[in-house]
Amino acid sequence: MTKVEAVIQVSKLESVKAALHEIGIEGMTVLEARGHGRQKGHTEFYRGREYTVDLIPKIKIELVVADNVVEKVVQAISTSARSGKIGDGKIFLSRVDEVIRIRNDERGENAL
Amino acid sequence: MSTAGSSSSALRDLYLQESGRIRQEFACTGNGEAVLVQRTALVEKIALQLWTDIVCPEQQGPRNFTLVALGGFGRRWLFPHSDIDLLFLHADRDSEHRLKDRIRVFSQGLWDLRLTLSPATRILQECDHFDPANVEFAVSLLDCRYLAGDTDLFTRLHDTVIPRLMTRESQSLLQRLADVTRNRHDKFGNTIFHLEPDVKDTPGGLRDCNLALWLNLLSSMDKPHDWPDPKSLLSASARKQFDPALDFLMSIRCFLHFRNGRDDNTLAWDAQEDAAQRAIGVYESKELSAAGWMKLYFAHARSVHRTATQLLQEIPAAWSPLSRHFQTLRARVSDTHFSVLDGLVFLREPSALRDTEMLLRLFHFVARHDVRLSTTTEHKVEQILPSLAATPPKGAELWLYLGETLTQPHAAEALRAMHSLRLLTLLLPELKPIDSLVVRDFYHRFTVDEHSFLAIETLHRLREPRSEWEKQYGEILKELEDPELLYLSLLLHDTGKGAVSENHVAGSVSIAERCLQRLDLESSERETVLFLISHHLEMSAALRRDIFDSATVAAFTEKVGTPERLKMLCLFTYADIKAVNPDALTPWKAENLWQLYIAATNQLNRNVDQRLHPDADVHNEKIAQMRILAPTAGRRVKTFLEGLPQRYLKTYAAQNVLRHLQMAELLCKQPVQLDLIRGRHWFELTLVTKDRPFLFGKVAGTLAAWGMNIVKATAFSNQAGTVVDTFYFTDRFRTLELNLSEWERFKRGVSEVLMGETDLDRMLRSRMQADEKRGQPKVKIEMSIQSDNLCSSNSTLVQVVAHDRPGLLYTIASCFSHHHCNIEIALIDTEGQMAIDVFYLTANRNKLAPEHLKQVEAALQEALHSRTETQSQKIVCTPPL
Repeated sequence: MTKVEAVIQVSKLESVKAALHEIGIEGMTVLEARGHGRQKGHTEFYRGREYTVDLIPKIKIELVVADNVVEKVVQAISTSARSGKIGDGKIFLSRVDEVIRIRNDERGENAL
Repeated sequence: MSTAGSSSSALRDLYLQESGRIRQEFACTGNGEAVLVQRTALVEKIALQLWTDIVCPEQQGPRNFTLVALGGFGRRWLFPHSDIDLLFLHADRDSEHRLKDRIRVFSQGLWDLRLTLSPATRILQECDHFDPANVEFAVSLLDCRYLAGDTDLFTRLHDTVIPRLMTRESQSLLQRLADVTRNRHDKFGNTIFHLEPDVKDTPGGLRDCNLALWLNLLSSMDKPHDWPDPKSLLSASARKQFDPALDFLMSIRCFLHFRNGRDDNTLAWDAQEDAAQRAIGVYESKELSAAGWMKLYFAHARSVHRTATQLLQEIPAAWSPLSRHFQTLRARVSDTHFSVLDGLVFLREPSALRDTEMLLRLFHFVARHDVRLSTTTEHKVEQILPSLAATPPKGAELWLYLGETLTQPHAAEALRAMHSLRLLTLLLPELKPIDSLVVRDFYHRFTVDEHSFLAIETLHRLREPRSEWEKQYGEILKELEDPELLYLSLLLHDTGKGAVSENHVAGSVSIAERCLQRLDLESSERETVLFLISHHLEMSAALRRDIFDSATVAAFTEKVGTPERLKMLCLFTYADIKAVNPDALTPWKAENLWQLYIAATNQLNRNVDQRLHPDADVHNEKIAQMRILAPTAGRRVKTFLEGLPQRYLKTYAAQNVLRHLQMAELLCKQPVQLDLIRGRHWFELTLVTKDRPFLFGKVAGTLAAWGMNIVKATAFSNQAGTVVDTFYFTDRFRTLELNLSEWERFKRGVSEVLMGETDLDRMLRSRMQADEKRGQPKVKIEMSIQSDNLCSSNSTLVQVVAHDRPGLLYTIASCFSHHHCNIEIALIDTEGQMAIDVFYLTANRNKLAPEHLKQVEAALQEALHSRTETQSQKIVCTPPL
């Protein structure tokens, strides 16, 4: 099993959710996040004061999927989250040893 | 000494069989009280059997030892899965030591039957001691009941020890009980209106029922041996609502225990559905939806909560010295109509309440002073409700008081008090459909009405900020011109949720329209309220897009239109999110909302000079309104509007634009047209004339010379060179306020300065000398000048932030004029002592050349610097954008 973590633009959450839903992925964890890669901050002046945003608001999606659908998931996320501009985000993949459903102790892919 | 296996098994069979029968009976009748009585009797029967089997063959033996039922078991309120509170009471240590093993086996017998036992062992002397850390034990003694053992020992406990303890420690007990209750209420946000309430612990739940009974019992126990009759603890009138509420809550808790198979008292969504379907606690035959059944729950919880909080307030002994001091301070707010005693409002002349105005004043008083209505005042209000219902106040009279009440710091509490007495829905029937309304989603924690009150409370709390965010949003709140419109919008914004409609926003707008009509609000006020309600989800929606994308910000600001509306919408969104649940406004959202707000503010200031072309802007709503108001003025309106900035139409109502047109048409007779009116917050001077050098500066200078403090100003000009400038100012010396005759002289003065008939410099010199004698300002504002040559296609933007002072605007505007700059648009604003002035400048109808701009900036810095230096202020100039 693979854990997919994707940091995306806030505005892309709905399209990413729809794309994942389309390939049969319904469960995910969504977190409010801040950060930046090569996309730097943003400055506004208000009332003569400077407001600099170094860390830009992002959305982080986490989901664990069976290995045979990882590529489909990555494709779905990257296609739906892409605008082609700096700041579109990144996808991270990592191995997951075990999944346990708390309700009934189911394990492995059955618990996904 | 030991339970025989057969006896144990017989008891288990008896317990299971009887429990099953009780459960079945409840399934048929839904009668919770019957369950409690029967279960108490069953557990008592089992306990007595074990007693005779294990402790003593005789029920009234042994000597010096008694088995006492406490708490819920004591008052015969044993719910299907509640704990069984038992006291093993000994006369002395010898008895305790001698019977220790038998008590252990006895307890084991109950545990073996899977009964949850909460045992306590004490000698009689210990029961006379109050432990503040264990107030629960002392309170549980109030429900003590003899079960078995030495009757003399129990009599000593019941007739002597407990009354003596309660009399001696009543103040401490009341204090601790009040503290524990307030903490519990705090934990639940001090409201009964939770979407998934805990029927035991939430305010208005069973614990509050107990509290009401305990408080009454404690305050009645003045003398030893004086146990009042439990039925006399509450007055007959209080019992009328309290008893059915208690019955209802008992039934729900039994239902939940049976349903969940454990002591889980959460009335979750699915349990609500189930309870409504099975008509739990409902004795009428009509079918109820889950939402309808929950309304019934809230009605009962409201009665219980009201009784409990009244009792908490009305027992002065429950206050600490600190809160006593606070109450004394609050008593000082008493006035000729209302007196305040111990934080409760009493009417000096109860019959005066028949006057509707006095009734509205009463709640305004509550909203202002953070006081509660006394029970007698509440009864008086309830008494006049039937007659009030026949002729409820409406129109301007109602809005006058309601608007004022909404802006008071404790408005939410006043609204809750009115709502609890059914007065609010009588005054604003539009709120009826959302009374106690549960709308299910994963985010909201409170009912729709409570959510609205909480949103209003959230904004008022910004007055005492507890975080940097609250401070920033609080600053915007202070700047609002008509905060009452924002509060009214919050009160009405979700009324559509009570209507059968797909789109609650459209529903709320339609309901609000009727309400605003009845309240007789001015058309501009109505527009603002309806705008806020119809757009109340707009900012939240924008937060889900890229808020740093200029197109997103531009699209959003296009919908908002003016800075004042932006401020209101931002605060609305802040309050609306925060009132969803305590964690809904995450720092992430708060920061994003703030970023969107400042980006939109800047967008509004930097893109205001896009010109109007009425032929092209056929869909503009304002132009359409003008067509309706003045159907024959179509061509004249078009000519007048041609070339005015888009912002002009967003700033003025259609009627104002038509008035400006009228003034412009009179310029051939009188070259300076002036309108002076007194608004709610300040005076407004509107000038329509042909553009000329130094125009804006001269008006600003004249106002300063008259001692007027310019709070806001706007300046616009059309293609034909007609300018419309409006100055909003406060009358520092009340010259106009106190002398109507001065109005004409003032207008003449402005006109003469513009026509060059009066020496403005001389007028200003004498005013400045007088002002400088007034001393130094206490707050330091850092001066900053920023310019932007890119944000507009036609003009150069210059923004000046400086310490506000008389003549500031004149200094700035004169500096521009001296450097041959034409002010195309001016947006002048003052926040506290900070002036924020934005100018769109041109020179020879073009943007300022870079070299020219540098000169203007340098001259401006020098002008403001030299003026500021004389006041010994610190100056920090930021580099241009």
